[in-house]
Amino acid sequence: MSTETLADTDLDISQLIDRPWITLVWDDPVNQMSYVVYVFVKIFSFSQERAHELMMQVHNEGRAVVANGSREEMERAVQSLHEHGLWATLQRDDLA
Amino acid sequence: MSEFVRDGEMYSLDLTVDEAQILINLVEQLLELLGEGNFNHHYDESDPFAQLMAQLKAAPEEIVTPEDPVLLRLFPNAYADPEAANDFRRYTEPTLRGKKERSLLEVRQALEIIVDENRDGVVADLDCDTWLMAINDLRIALSVRLEITPDSFELFEALPDTDPQKAIFAVYFWLGWLQTSLLNVISR
Repeated sequence: MSTETLADTDLDISQLIDRPWITLVWDDPVNQMSYVVYVFVKIFSFSQERAHELMMQVHNEGRAVVANGSREEMERAVQSLHEHGLWATLQRDDLA
Repeated sequence: MSEFVRDGEMYSLDLTVDEAQILINLVEQLLELLGEGNFNHHYDESDPFAQLMAQLKAAPEEIVTPEDPVLLRLFPNAYADPEAANDFRRYTEPTLRGKKERSLLEVRQALEIIVDENRDGVVADLDCDTWLMAINDLRIALSVRLEITPDSFELFEALPDTDPQKAIFAVYFWLGWLQTSLLNVISR
């Protein structure tokens, strides 16, 4: 029992350390829906459905969290999104 | 109107001279805005886009937040915090700029053949990602200068054909149509 609890705690701590950053994509009136879906699939290897769902979230809510992970991973994601002309930022996941 | 064609894994684009001329003018103007102007450009100063795309201010020597809104949109701040955004910009922007320039230069090279021969032609065996990125960067650059909003298409349709702005907006929407044409054949 105590071993299990310890294992659970370890997992939580590692998640806190490794995944506290998020990548946001913001809505813009320029990038076409089909292009945004294409870029999400290409960069993040999402399924068409997942990519479409996130694209719609960006469109309807003005932004969406498209990835989370270490700061380094999120900087690479943002760089790749900028390369494709999407408006992306990263920040600490203080929403969690 | 010209569209992308796919034959197996080969992609091509038929273009009229006029279409190739419009595209090469935009590509060259964006390259010059990016600071890569090492070529003899094909547009003349009366080109309606030349002034639209001209750089607002000479670029500073060091890498800082761009003053030109097109450059700021192509190279946005990655962080809300200005110091973190500047650090990110210093180590990523040269790479990003290089990639955008290479795509535009490759597209320019293909268009140059059609424009210089002055007859309709085919861009054969083109690289989809290169063309997608170049077309998208052109759309972004124009959208900033034209102050595109979600209502722009309705406004464009309502403009009388005699309005000089109409042709410029038409090119912006044509680029969107071209991009969709390429995405359609990729996903087919």
